[in-house]
Amino acid sequence: MKAIEVENLCFSYNGVKALSGITFSVDEGEFIAIIGPNGSGKTTLLRVLLGILKPEVGSVRVFGIEPWKESEKVKSLIGFMPQKEHISTKPPLLVKDIVLMGRAVRKSPLSPLSKEDMRKAREALNAVGLDDKWNTKFSELSGGQQQRVLLARAIAVEPKLLLLDEPFNGVDIPSQERIIGLLDELSRKGVTAIAVVHNVSPLIHSIDKILLLNKDLIAYGSPEEVLKPENMVKAYGAVIPIIVCEEGFVHPLFGDTHG
Amino acid sequence: MADIPFYLLRAIAAIVLIAINASVAGSFTVFRDISFLVAGASHAALAGAALAIVLETYGIFSMNPIVGGILFAVFTAIAAGYASRDEGINTAIGISFALSMSLAVLFISMIREYAARVWSLLLGDLFLLTNEDIVLMFISTLVVVAVCFLFYREFLFISFDIEGAIAYGVNATLLNYVLLSLIAIAVVVTLKGVGAILVFAMFVAPAAAAVEVSKNVRQVFLLAFLIAMISGIAGLGISFFYPVSPGAIASLFASLVYFTLIVVNRRG
Ligand SMILES: Nc1ncnc2c1ncn2[C@@H]1O[C@H](COP(=O)(O)OP(=O)(O)OP(=O)(O)O)[C@@H](O)[C@H]1O
Ligand SMILES: [Mg+2]
Repeated sequence: MKAIEVENLCFSYNGVKALSGITFSVDEGEFIAIIGPNGSGKTTLLRVLLGILKPEVGSVRVFGIEPWKESEKVKSLIGFMPQKEHISTKPPLLVKDIVLMGRAVRKSPLSPLSKEDMRKAREALNAVGLDDKWNTKFSELSGGQQQRVLLARAIAVEPKLLLLDEPFNGVDIPSQERIIGLLDELSRKGVTAIAVVHNVSPLIHSIDKILLLNKDLIAYGSPEEVLKPENMVKAYGAVIPIIVCEEGFVHPLFGDTHG
Repeated sequence: MADIPFYLLRAIAAIVLIAINASVAGSFTVFRDISFLVAGASHAALAGAALAIVLETYGIFSMNPIVGGILFAVFTAIAAGYASRDEGINTAIGISFALSMSLAVLFISMIREYAARVWSLLLGDLFLLTNEDIVLMFISTLVVVAVCFLFYREFLFISFDIEGAIAYGVNATLLNYVLLSLIAIAVVVTLKGVGAILVFAMFVAPAAAAVEVSKNVRQVFLLAFLIAMISGIAGLGISFFYPVSPGAIASLFASLVYFTLIVVNRRG
């Protein structure tokens, strides 16, 4: 069974097109990067996969299930990491509260957290390299550390599908490499991982495919196929230079261009 | 016990109930960053209570003004929650604010001769509460506490990140309405004691102060309760010996605690 099958998906907010004619599929255990300029519909696509938004046209299936129809079923398979701009640090939550959150709300109300819940949450925090922050206030962490806690929350629910919205924003290079290594390992174990990123370069060695979005699906396939100049011009309106590294991978050089 | 007059016992009971509401619902108000809802709900409650008095005065229908207040406040909270899907919630509350103030003034103008009853809703009447008032306040508080206890995890998740809550299977749309309604109910309970003018201070200040210094969520609830409770007792105690409004002293005390903690906290 395919992890994700999307056919001719269209979606608009109040009549304004955000996604149109999107068709692609993802095999179980694949690691996919979604790239595209600001406002190109990346977050919207994740919301449709989660069943938060209903497709206007077309069909969407996640593990064979239509997310907006049977959203509970689909959500129980997914670990989601929101874009950090969408969260609030008003409640003085501790790191452990947040890592446990996803597991906690999937239990019936009033039933206490189990040893298993604690263990999985600790393992997840360990995996993102923040085991010493278990009892720290979330709002006292740096931006990059907060990102990693949100990732730990997604991993802690033992998902079959990980949907990550800009997981590397503000994350330092060693932590980023560590997280990529972790996602690589999870995808080898059969977890399907989809990460929205702005700079795909650090992931090139680990991902199977890139999905290049700008309301339309501009290209979908291996990095070499997708990162061609004509595709990048269509998506970004500019040529993004690419280099080929020693191991033969194509890397785009975002931010390294100058007038 | 026999020496304590009943009106004083009722006032103390009301202080305890208000402190519980200011702690449980007040904290979620601060977590959700929707303190403006408190102003919106209290003015709607004023209109609702005034309408109840109008209906009674004209012999049409009789109900406790608290019930009318709760109905209007909850309606406002739900309307604001609904409108906030397009606008920001503060814009939505602002508009309903204007509507309920117009209605309140309209209803009050219809019952000039009973203006004293409305006056007490504006300024609070801790010493004039009836047994029926206390029972209604108690039932409302019980509902607020029970539902917040039941959906504690969900409400916290929604306050932290509503999109994430939905993604992890929380019925956030429904529970958001439930939370907004509970806050509205709690506002009316507080309003009955300290009046519409002071409800904002008594309801928001304790939790806002507690958030400033708390190390975790539980501490916020505990500290907010203590601040509200001590403020209320201070208000009662002082007004027992001097002819001043207990609600005013209590709100003044709670606001001062908030500003003091802010200053102390900023200095390190
Ligand atoms: N809740 C919403 N209501 C109305 N329009 C929206 C909403 N969310 C997004 N949009 C619009 O839909 C388009 C796509 O938004 P989306 O958030 O999916 O972009 P994105 O690719 O994730 O951008 P970014 O890189 O900035 O995160 C944008 O034009 C945006 O303004
Ligand atoms: Mg986005």
